[in-house]
Amino acid sequence: MLSFLPPPNDYVIIAVILGMPLLGAFVNGIWGNRLGKRAVRLMALAAVGASFVASLVAFMSLAQLSEQEKGAHVKLVWNAWEWMHTTGGQGATVPIEVKFSIDQLSGVMMLIVTGVGFLIHLYATSYMEKDRSYARFFAYLNLFIFAMLVLILGDNLPLLFVGWEGVGLCSYLLIGFWYENPANAAAGKKAFIANRIGDFGLLCAMFLLVQYTGALDWNGIANGATSLVHPGEAYRVHVWPLGGGHYEGFLHFLQPDKPYTISAATAVGLMLLLGCSGKSAQIPLYVWLPDAMAGPTPVSALIHAATMVTAGIYLICRLSFVFVLSPFTMMMIAVAGALTALLAATIAVVQNDIKKVLAYSTISQLGFMFLGVGVGAFTAGFFHVFTHAFFKACLFLCAGSVIHAMHARVHDDDKAQDIRNMGGLRKWLPLTHWTFAAATAAIIGLPFTSGFFSKDEILYRAFVDRTVNPENGVGMLKKLGTFSPPLWIGPVLYAMAVLAATLTAFYMCRLYFLTFWGDFKGWTVGRPSLLARHEITAPHAPDHVDDDDHDAGHVHHEDPAKPGYAPHESPWQMTIPLIILAAFSLFAGVLNPGFGILKERPMDHWLEPVFKAASEKAVIFAHGNDASWAEHLEWPLALGGIGAFAIGTTLAWWVYVSKRGEPAKRLAQSQPGLYRLLLDKWRIDELYEATVIAAVDSLAETAAAVDKSLVDGILARFTSLVVAASGTILRAFQNGVVHVYAAMMVVGLAVTGWFFAVPHPNATVVDAGHDDYVVTAAPGVGYAYRWDADGDGKPEKQDFGSDTTLKVHVEPGKSQTVNLQVRNSFGLVRTKTIQVARPQEPTSSL
Amino acid sequence: MIPAEHYVILSALLFIVGGVGFLVRRNVLVTLMSIEVMLNASNLALVAFNRSRLAHVASSVSTVSSAYAGQSHTGQVFAFFIIAAEAAEVAVGLAIVLAFYRLRRTVRSDEADLLKN
Repeated sequence: MLSFLPPPNDYVIIAVILGMPLLGAFVNGIWGNRLGKRAVRLMALAAVGASFVASLVAFMSLAQLSEQEKGAHVKLVWNAWEWMHTTGGQGATVPIEVKFSIDQLSGVMMLIVTGVGFLIHLYATSYMEKDRSYARFFAYLNLFIFAMLVLILGDNLPLLFVGWEGVGLCSYLLIGFWYENPANAAAGKKAFIANRIGDFGLLCAMFLLVQYTGALDWNGIANGATSLVHPGEAYRVHVWPLGGGHYEGFLHFLQPDKPYTISAATAVGLMLLLGCSGKSAQIPLYVWLPDAMAGPTPVSALIHAATMVTAGIYLICRLSFVFVLSPFTMMMIAVAGALTALLAATIAVVQNDIKKVLAYSTISQLGFMFLGVGVGAFTAGFFHVFTHAFFKACLFLCAGSVIHAMHARVHDDDKAQDIRNMGGLRKWLPLTHWTFAAATAAIIGLPFTSGFFSKDEILYRAFVDRTVNPENGVGMLKKLGTFSPPLWIGPVLYAMAVLAATLTAFYMCRLYFLTFWGDFKGWTVGRPSLLARHEITAPHAPDHVDDDDHDAGHVHHEDPAKPGYAPHESPWQMTIPLIILAAFSLFAGVLNPGFGILKERPMDHWLEPVFKAASEKAVIFAHGNDASWAEHLEWPLALGGIGAFAIGTTLAWWVYVSKRGEPAKRLAQSQPGLYRLLLDKWRIDELYEATVIAAVDSLAETAAAVDKSLVDGILARFTSLVVAASGTILRAFQNGVVHVYAAMMVVGLAVTGWFFAVPHPNATVVDAGHDDYVVTAAPGVGYAYRWDADGDGKPEKQDFGSDTTLKVHVEPGKSQTVNLQVRNSFGLVRTKTIQVARPQEPTSSL
Repeated sequence: MIPAEHYVILSALLFIVGGVGFLVRRNVLVTLMSIEVMLNASNLALVAFNRSRLAHVASSVSTVSSAYAGQSHTGQVFAFFIIAAEAAEVAVGLAIVLAFYRLRRTVRSDEADLLKN
């Protein structure tokens, strides 16, 4: 089977997987506007579709290979060319190749990106139908798929970084897709800059890896990883004084008695964590993701929910064997994840914009993934990436469908997204309603849906697992006192995660009930403003409704007296992806069910070889090394997750269905301060504005002041003065009389002619050893030479000859004068005197 | 055969006549003509040198092959190239004179002072 495919070590099908989306982006980007919408649609869908099919083929070859190798870590490799090379810390050459590989981990990720990507492309063909920049949208979207695939399939860190920046660029372009609105452009910039901070960390991590492991590709890093925890002083990173420097003079008080060092593994891990928290929207860099919802909804679904934002978790999984070497970093990942999950969930509870709720929900779910990988449960964390891709993409696409329907009624971008204007939509949008319900069931952890299994595994492992260094307490490491996570951290993380899960259940059900249940509140929204506009544009007959229009600023033709048209279900291009994604949301859990439902969990089994190196290098252990004790805890700890689901859902039902939102209103009125604080997202943006951004701004203002006064005021003015003055002087010579110019030319010609007519003797002196010096005359056309080696003014030979070199013998400390006479074809002779000096021999002192 | 020196002296005289004319005459047309004279002076020198070199090679070498190798006409070919360049230069020059005349109704070069300062 599959024998016609290329060999695993030169698997050129990867070129197809990568090349098709790039081709699509190229064609749509260059010729899209001339091709028309039908061709653009065909190109975009065919590109991603072909990439998906090729991915499926590659995945099947991988599965076959894995079977042959009895479940070892297998790779399909395609080495395109060597990009560059550098020198590592140990002096070894580090090649950086444009090399792509598919292993068990990137294979799954690749299928998610191309598969979900295809569905979202299909959805977008209809969602963006009325947009002016249809081709530009699909060019960006295809380019994103390409960049994401480079990120996933790149076999080394620099190549991953190329993809990493590529997805960042596409994210920026697509957030600011409707750039006429300054707020959208600002959101794009914010995302870009927040990601830059993370990229700084990723770059630093790369530098450290080159220095300490001497490799940047995955295999090389894995082989060199042990030197990251080498206890030798040269293998440790000096944190204070920075870089192992030394403070002297009046700065001496900064010099510590003993330099503070951390292991290279911790330094690399923390730098990578910074990079990952930028991309995956974790504390402290999560602020860009909610604003990123300014982009079109399919973009939110694809980039800011299903694929790009999980790149950070992918990188942690990919370099799991580096992270586990530093238990401190692992704990930091887990803590950052748990905090983010909780913080984002609290904000999501009060948001009113349907996409904002989902955005915070995404941040919260990404926090769960970080928590999972942070405690060393890489499979569990990655499985949550897998399930989340389905249910969150489904939720966002449903939100898009709802906005699509609402927009037809409300004709206002903001009001069409406000859940307070919705309600009862299940009557008109049955498919959207059921798929949204399925995805909600998955995210809130309804037992036996995909989200239940993935989230529950994370909760369980958070409680029982910790990462410690296996060498801890042995030899040198004992003296260094390596970090070991405290025992109480597990239960604390578990409690935070359960609380976050409860809030998740609550806010997702709130969103669901407010959107699809109760009465539709959109009948009256936007009427008065519409009335005003209608009077201005009175001649319009209310004969038709442009009900599919997404663009802001179009003309409305509705009769304000009538209630208007009811919301309507979306076309099949939009509902088919919803159904498929909803089905996966419900049933993808079978790939990795917990509680011993399946004897061998397929996902666990599949990914085991990828994470084997990680679990060998460190001990990820279950509470006091007693695995059996932990096994007994699986069912009791699952009660936390199920309880979170039950409590959150019931509470939401009681508040928003039984009491029609009254308790929520009363609570908001009784606690106005807290409510405002949550509505303003804990004012984290304002905090950043006041601290980091203000600091940068004042620095910029200082620089601008210096620039204006010193650079512009003095340096630039002085330079221009010099230029102007010399211009004034030189201008006097330009009298405009042609004859003067001609005379100048003649003079110039004469001078140049004289220069060429006269010989120019020149010579170089070279130490030939043995106290000899060789004087070599410079060549010239028609030159003949005559030497006077003793410098007495009388040449040795009377005739000019072709001897261009002369050897002279000089004693130490002496100097010799040599005359060189050169005659050219005109018979003119010129003489040059050359001093050949020999330095004093260095006297040896004993 | 007239020796090459005669030609070179004539050529130098022509060149000086052209150069002085170029410097002292104010009529742009005459200036152009002076340039022509200078160029032709150099043409004459080239052709004369070529001729004397051919005669010199023919009288000093005996074997057929080296005599053939000495049959270089570079100087004469060069003169043709200069004639071609001259023609182009005159075309451009006359066009400039015409444009200048339209502008100033004169061909006197001291009137052409638009580029002053």
